[in-house]
Amino acid sequence: MNAAVQKALSTGAERHVVIRPTKGLFDLEMGSVWRYRDLLHTLMMRDIQVLYKQAALGAAWAIIQPVFAVVVFTVVFGNFAKMPSDGIPYPIFAFAAVLPWTYFAEATRRASTGLVDDADLVRKVYFPRLIIPLAKVSAPLLDFAIAFCVLLIMMAFYGVMPSVKLFAIIPLILIAGTLALAIGLWLGPINVRFRDVKHTVPFMLQIGMYASPIVYPLSQVPAEWKALYSLNPMVGVIEGFRWAVFDRDSPDFVALGIGLLVVLALLLGGLVWFKDQEQSFADVI
Amino acid sequence: MDKDIAISVRGLGKRYVRNSGPKHNSLREVLVGKLTTLATLGLKRRRKDHFWALSDISFDIRKGENVGIIGLNGAGKSTLLKVLSRIVTPTTGEAHINGRLGALLEVGTGFHQELTGRENTFLYGAILGMNRTEVEAKFDAIVEFAEIREFIDTPVKRYSSGMYVRLAFAVAAHLDPDILLLDEVLAVGDAAFQRKCMAFARSLEKKGSTILFVSHNMYSIKTMCQRVIFLKKGRVVFDGPTAEGLKLYEDDSRMKDAHWFWSDDDERPIKFTSGVIESSAGVDSGVIAHGDRLTIRLRYSTTRRIMAPDVRVSIDRQDNTHCMTFSSKQDGMDIPWIEGEGELVIQTPPLKLTSDFYLANVAVREKSVGKLLAAQIIAHFHVSDHDLGSLSYGVFNEPGAWRHAALAPANDSEVPAPTRAFIATR
Repeated sequence: MNAAVQKALSTGAERHVVIRPTKGLFDLEMGSVWRYRDLLHTLMMRDIQVLYKQAALGAAWAIIQPVFAVVVFTVVFGNFAKMPSDGIPYPIFAFAAVLPWTYFAEATRRASTGLVDDADLVRKVYFPRLIIPLAKVSAPLLDFAIAFCVLLIMMAFYGVMPSVKLFAIIPLILIAGTLALAIGLWLGPINVRFRDVKHTVPFMLQIGMYASPIVYPLSQVPAEWKALYSLNPMVGVIEGFRWAVFDRDSPDFVALGIGLLVVLALLLGGLVWFKDQEQSFADVI
Repeated sequence: MDKDIAISVRGLGKRYVRNSGPKHNSLREVLVGKLTTLATLGLKRRRKDHFWALSDISFDIRKGENVGIIGLNGAGKSTLLKVLSRIVTPTTGEAHINGRLGALLEVGTGFHQELTGRENTFLYGAILGMNRTEVEAKFDAIVEFAEIREFIDTPVKRYSSGMYVRLAFAVAAHLDPDILLLDEVLAVGDAAFQRKCMAFARSLEKKGSTILFVSHNMYSIKTMCQRVIFLKKGRVVFDGPTAEGLKLYEDDSRMKDAHWFWSDDDERPIKFTSGVIESSAGVDSGVIAHGDRLTIRLRYSTTRRIMAPDVRVSIDRQDNTHCMTFSSKQDGMDIPWIEGEGELVIQTPPLKLTSDFYLANVAVREKSVGKLLAAQIIAHFHVSDHDLGSLSYGVFNEPGAWRHAALAPANDSEVPAPTRAFIATR
């Protein structure tokens, strides 16, 4: 046995394990998630590899979906409804928002139904179950990266000069991913018991899309509603994207701050809820 | 904890809620259920029907020990392995696991149909707890073991079921765990592959791995384990030497109702009270030589007269393959009626069953097509075959008469043309 394997063996799995009926409410076992990081990576790669297998257009779907949405929005909201777009050409105005939203919607959908999609694994193999929603929100990042290239092309076409602010989309998309994870942590265990979640999520995402400044600018939202409106963390993320792409003066710190607090609260609560429910997954699923 | 102990279990229990009513699988049903409870002020609260799949299980397994877990269906064997592999959480008690644990509860769980053999090797390896460098280091050995080198880049959905199982087992076989939990996984694939699996399990034994092994295959338990734990209704009824435990288990399952039999009669009209399977030498040892004639003796007792009974004795292989049935009616013995107590004796022709583990059952129908009155296990037995060895495939093995004649002899003198017709002699 070579040295690499020897090392792998000694770090791969736990040496001493105690199996008990209950764990503490706040014992989140983040250490074991870290030990199973190879599985996280592998499951994420599996989801990426599987997505476009036997699809003639393959990864082109990652581009077709958001581009089609923008074409429709441009025709309906840009041309017919004459929606203001902060003086930016409507197609790129909408695309800068559709980009993070598409990722968020896909990640949320997958994270919420992931446990049931991988029911075979949950029933037959042990690993920290947190790995599943984590893998599910990571996999669509590749689609996001592909669609981002389209954004760069559009920016060149409309003569939008990229600035150093463009790097801000990295933390912004991480916030969107964390929000999708937090929602998945809440809904995943419910979906294990009630498959209704699977049917509810697309519908909630539809509402969420109109509750976010995607087809209209944040400036259209009445000032007295803005605080309430900003409880939707995607408001801060999307406005942040527009700030980064169109090189605006300052991002909407209020919306971003409120959104961040909501994400953190959802995430912490979700982790505790998920860990509490985790023990019964294999019995119920 | 003692350094020599691999698994230590104390007072382990697992309680499940038995679903007596309809399952609440959609939110609407649960809401309706809750509202009904509210409306009736909780008076008609559904009584929760609990049962203990495991209760008060305690044992220690030393490092390097191979232990078989036996018991009838529903005794809690698989639940125990699921608790030990951390898939389900126990309700009471605790277990300590000392060492790297690998659990093979079902070969190929987690394989993805769309992915290639290569991709699935890494996926399944990660699922079983190996990391990437480890799978990489063992990749060639895995492909070698599975014998699928030319298909390694084909999606597994195009694999035959045999290839699929071989690859899955090959990955699992290279996990190198300190402790291995096996649930019936050795009973997959064809006979040749099963032998390979057994050889692999023995090689683990030589390396000093601890193996906890659930199986209905008494033969493999006999060959692999020095110790058995016999579970009955979720409790340990025996923990000790294999021979003694298997005897208890086999005696215990004798004359029990077949697991698929269910009767709503409180009192059975007919019951078989004893059954023995004798070899031609007249001994009931549980081991029968290939090609031997058996004498099956059954005693019955009835509570009423049973008209025109058709008594059927069937022989099933341990993997539930139904091999043969002797029917009193078909075999030409017309019994007008039976009542009280009596004995039935069946003399079989030479049985050419291949070497494996079998189970004999007896069932009775009234008036041959009437209601099934009883279905009971007679006994387990093992067919041994020293001549056939690894060449025996299938359920039966009968020699055929072979002939060969070369019709167009090859001109190339380097290839010797077989000229002599021969007849197999066995």
